[in-house]
Amino acid sequence: MNIFFLQFLLGILFLSIFYLHLAKKNFGAVIAYSIQSLIITLILFTSFLETNSFFLLFVVLVTLVIKVILASVFFFRLIQKHKLTFSVSTYLNLPLTLIVLAGFTAIAHSQKFLSLTNIIPAHQALLSLALSAIFISLFLVINRKDALSQAVGILSLENSIVAFAIFAGLEQSPMLQFGIIFDIFIWLVISTVFISMIYRHFGSLDTSTMKHLKD
Amino acid sequence: MEFIIIISSLVIASLIAILAKHRITVECVSISASAVALIESFVVAFKVALSGDYSPFAFFSVDALGALLMLIISCVGFATVAYSIPYLRKETANNIIGFTRVKQYFTLLNLFLGAMFLAISSSSPIFAWIAIEATTLSTAFLISFYNKSSAMEAAWKYLIINSIGLLLGFFGTLLYFTSIDPSLGNGFISWHMLTTNAIHMDPLLAKIAFVFVLIGYGTKVGLAPMHTWLPDAHSKAPAPISALLSGVLLNVALVIVLKFKIITDSVIGQSFSQTLLIVFGTFSILISALIILSQKSYKRLLAYSSIENMGIIALGFGFGGLGVMAAILHTIYHSLTKSALFFLSGNFLLKYHSAKIANVKGALKALPITSILFLIGFFAITGAPPFGIFLTKLFTFSAGITTHPVIGITAILLTAIVFIGFFKHASAMVFGEKPSEMKQEKESIWLILPPLILLILVLVLSFYQPPFLQVLIHNATLYYK
Repeated sequence: MNIFFLQFLLGILFLSIFYLHLAKKNFGAVIAYSIQSLIITLILFTSFLETNSFFLLFVVLVTLVIKVILASVFFFRLIQKHKLTFSVSTYLNLPLTLIVLAGFTAIAHSQKFLSLTNIIPAHQALLSLALSAIFISLFLVINRKDALSQAVGILSLENSIVAFAIFAGLEQSPMLQFGIIFDIFIWLVISTVFISMIYRHFGSLDTSTMKHLKD
Repeated sequence: MEFIIIISSLVIASLIAILAKHRITVECVSISASAVALIESFVVAFKVALSGDYSPFAFFSVDALGALLMLIISCVGFATVAYSIPYLRKETANNIIGFTRVKQYFTLLNLFLGAMFLAISSSSPIFAWIAIEATTLSTAFLISFYNKSSAMEAAWKYLIINSIGLLLGFFGTLLYFTSIDPSLGNGFISWHMLTTNAIHMDPLLAKIAFVFVLIGYGTKVGLAPMHTWLPDAHSKAPAPISALLSGVLLNVALVIVLKFKIITDSVIGQSFSQTLLIVFGTFSILISALIILSQKSYKRLLAYSSIENMGIIALGFGFGGLGVMAAILHTIYHSLTKSALFFLSGNFLLKYHSAKIANVKGALKALPITSILFLIGFFAITGAPPFGIFLTKLFTFSAGITTHPVIGITAILLTAIVFIGFFKHASAMVFGEKPSEMKQEKESIWLILPPLILLILVLVLSFYQPPFLQVLIHNATLYYK
């Protein structure tokens, strides 16, 4: 597959995470996650075209159904049910958030992580971008106050790791990939149930208001 | 065959618990499944002791440490199910939970046990990761079992922090796969393949991978500073679940870290991984020592004690040599004792309806047997002689003093602080006058037997280990040294 096309796909994935940091509305965040998951599905599909493994095609289809369709449906229903139009604020303000994002992206492209991004020398640019995606997804979970964004952040982190694994040639057997996706599906179901329960208990998804636990 | 019997019996018990219409069915099926798991775990342990690593199928493989962990999971698991039955009956009688909750409890408990067996017996690191993630998912609803705001908060914190940790662990795991030729194993990479191909790994990449694995799985182990979910989750979960979380799950995650340690050591030598284990271990003991002194809840007190003990075990593996044997023995003693202490904390909770230390007074008069066992458990867990933890701490710290004197002495001082803090709280609960309005009732034998048997087991194992257990400990020490 053309490396520029893959770079283009990964670029969109990276931008979708960037958008997740900026999104003020939950609807937009879920759309961004769906696009991100669709990118992962497309990248997996390019692997299928190279290997012609029908097991892999099955994994591609399951990924499409769970990450792109079901995840969006679950989150949209949650947003509609509890009228969660706007997401809660972040711990850092926008300028500081942008500085941190730039910092993480620069670190991922630095010599410090050369042994990580040089696993396949021809894919160094792709791996650097995937590593940036991992770092900024992790920061998304930390920086966001609301439970829904935290859940999307975790799923985004998983997508970024999958992208890194594919470009580093570390893909697993289709059976194990299926196991991982099944795990993600269960995680998705449990997290949406919890988000609903949190809303019922606290009247909002703002995790910074949860202060029942103290040493 | 044993692995399939264990896991399928637990999964079937879960399914029956969902469908059952009578409480007795749920209880009988759950206790039977955990009894089957106990018997089959002994069979596996005997086989490993006799012939070394046991791998009847490509997907399953157990070494000496894995066999020891299987014994721990099955013993504590059986005791947990046995204790849960009268405990939940009492809670139902007190109108705290209904039959639907009981069904949900046993369904998730059996799945949790099955996931831990899978994580330990899996021959693939990815399969093990999936199983560890499954333990998070099965226990999240058990932590929020009482549906209170604080329990919900603890469960969400647990879910998010552990999910981040496990994803970082997953990333670290994938980095180890760079040592394997992609054409090998058809995408299925086993622990054995990783160990034999470790020499092909880039040393710097091995260091980065181990850092990710240690931080990732270390979150599940409860090593400080990734421990923040642990006291909340362990204090909010029902007492029998806290016993499993503290006594078993932390060790299961630690074994995964140790498997990666062996691979890392064969690439870059022992000093890197040992230093990291010593740093995280010492920090864990320090954090728990400082917080135990000012603790207000006895369940959180036990949770912080778990962080301290996981720190001591990490120190043992970090110091190496004699420390490794001490760490393995410490794992066994800690699992059994801590589970017993959490069961006893459940008895306090049923009687006093509060987890606050300040609200539990004169327990020796209100719950004499529970109180005496709690004091025995306290002495056992803090390392007072004649209990085994006294010797394991002695061996760990003496191993440390020879190689890292400052760390060794600091750890001794910190464990002394833990003893003082724990003693202060335990004596405040046990001694004094019980509330005047509290009725004197006979303690339920079924709520006493599980912790009593575990404490007797700790005492016996402190003086005598059966030959098959000695072989397992010896082989595990040689491999993880």
